[in-house]
Amino acid sequence: MSGEILASNLHLQRGNRELLGGLSFSVQAGEITVILGPNGAGKSSLLLALAGLIPAAGKLLLNGTSLAAYKRGELARQIAWQGELPPTEFGLTVRQRLELSAGEAADAIESAAETMDIVPLLQRPLGELSSGELQRVELAAVMLREVPVWLLDEPTAHLDLRHQAHCLKMMKNQAAAGRAIVTVLHDLQQAAAVADFIILIDGKGHAERGSADRMLTIDRLSNLFDMPLIGQGKLLIPDYGPDYGDGV
Amino acid sequence: MILRAVFRWGLVLAVLIVTVLFCLAVGEVWINPFGANGQDAVILWELRWPRLLIAFSVGGLLALAGAWFQVLLGNPLAEPYVLGVAGSASVGAVTGLMIYPESAVVMSAGAFAGAWLGISIVMAFSHLGSGRMLLAGVVLAAFWSALLALLLALLPKSGLGLAFSWMMGDLSHSDLPIPLLLLSWIAALGCGLLLSRSLDALLLGERHAGALGIEVRQQRNRLLLLASAVTAIAVTAAGTIGFVGLVVPHLMRLMFGSLHRAVLPASAIGGGILLMLADSVARTIVAPSELPVGVLTAMLGVPLFLFLLLRRG
Repeated sequence: MSGEILASNLHLQRGNRELLGGLSFSVQAGEITVILGPNGAGKSSLLLALAGLIPAAGKLLLNGTSLAAYKRGELARQIAWQGELPPTEFGLTVRQRLELSAGEAADAIESAAETMDIVPLLQRPLGELSSGELQRVELAAVMLREVPVWLLDEPTAHLDLRHQAHCLKMMKNQAAAGRAIVTVLHDLQQAAAVADFIILIDGKGHAERGSADRMLTIDRLSNLFDMPLIGQGKLLIPDYGPDYGDGV
Repeated sequence: MILRAVFRWGLVLAVLIVTVLFCLAVGEVWINPFGANGQDAVILWELRWPRLLIAFSVGGLLALAGAWFQVLLGNPLAEPYVLGVAGSASVGAVTGLMIYPESAVVMSAGAFAGAWLGISIVMAFSHLGSGRMLLAGVVLAAFWSALLALLLALLPKSGLGLAFSWMMGDLSHSDLPIPLLLLSWIAALGCGLLLSRSLDALLLGERHAGALGIEVRQQRNRLLLLASAVTAIAVTAAGTIGFVGLVVPHLMRLMFGSLHRAVLPASAIGGGILLMLADSVARTIVAPSELPVGVLTAMLGVPLFLFLLLRRG
């Protein structure tokens, strides 16, 4: 399984605002890279650009070939993307939704459903599920994609504690099996638990990438989120302070 | 699973056969479809069969167009009439009629250009979300309807009957030959089935479809072209008939699930069944005169539209 991404001098814009101004990084097979940053900083946009779903300026290579040179079908055999929850209005059942991602690997649906704890939901329409259940369906859909690169946008969003832990463990297992994973997370503990590398994006054009140990520090993160943090090592939490809640 | 599918398809085919026999039999005079003689045979073969085939193919085409527009807009309330595309196609067709009165080709080309223009204007609102796109379509439908009334008033052989036949649908005569309509039904269904994997993926939204390997822009353009062409053919043949494209795909999704390899053929047949039935009632209920068939499809479609709207809210 080979899934090497190389980004060089990557620029991303939203309207007239520059989100990313010249980020360079690489992602190798077997690594988990976590993207952190405030709301609106461009984390999801970066994932979409890596998936080839929105344009980005600069050099973006997948396994040595420019992403733009891939046809959509070829790209889909290399990259899986999990993002916004799908619309639920057309009455697709969970099984039908998974079939769309499984393609010819329909036999694997049961085991992916078992892993994500959604076997009892298989015959239900997507519209009858809670956001958390829908998120687990989307994660199962990603699991069905036999591709070397996974791009996961807030995979633990909507999930309860047990399923959050389950999701993180699944990501670790998949990386150990050789998949390259790039994921957006908001929880610093979750990031610390899975990340080999971290990309910090501030939404003002600045971004940097480094090892998890180097990047997950009080100074960097306090600066990034513009709020005090406390803790040490990998246990960093917001410092809400004694007056937390007053005047909010 | 297979047994259930066989049962459902068997049911659709049984309803189709019963509907065909019923529609051949009913009218101002009752006719036995298996033993018509003399004048009955003339009515059966020269009036009812042609009209039945027009109703079947136009109904099927409208249902297919509805299913495609719903995926294109990501909104199960979309269909050619509600979006104003049938209205803009009618305006195009009548414009063609005014420019070159004797040519069905010019009229069809006008209808296609009108349908294309209509859906292009609606799609220009796509960045505002599917709800507002639909709203734009509804407002545009009123505009096209007004423009159509104006053009019909300017036509040399204008009259209430002609206005009715364009604005509420009329299957009593078609400007397109029946074999062409049936061929269009087959071709539209075939093209739809070729695009069914893309249609299924687009049910998840454009980004998910793109991530699954669908060339979204290309497939959307193909679908727009196809849906416009199919609407244009249906409108040229029968004027503006509303809500078939809303009611039928909705019922077929309830029956067959959401995947298009089943929804499209079921809608193509189901649309035919619905319009054959509606037309039979329309030409019988106030015989010897006729109701425009669009009156009956609106009676069915509007309550369903409102029900779906309530459920979405």
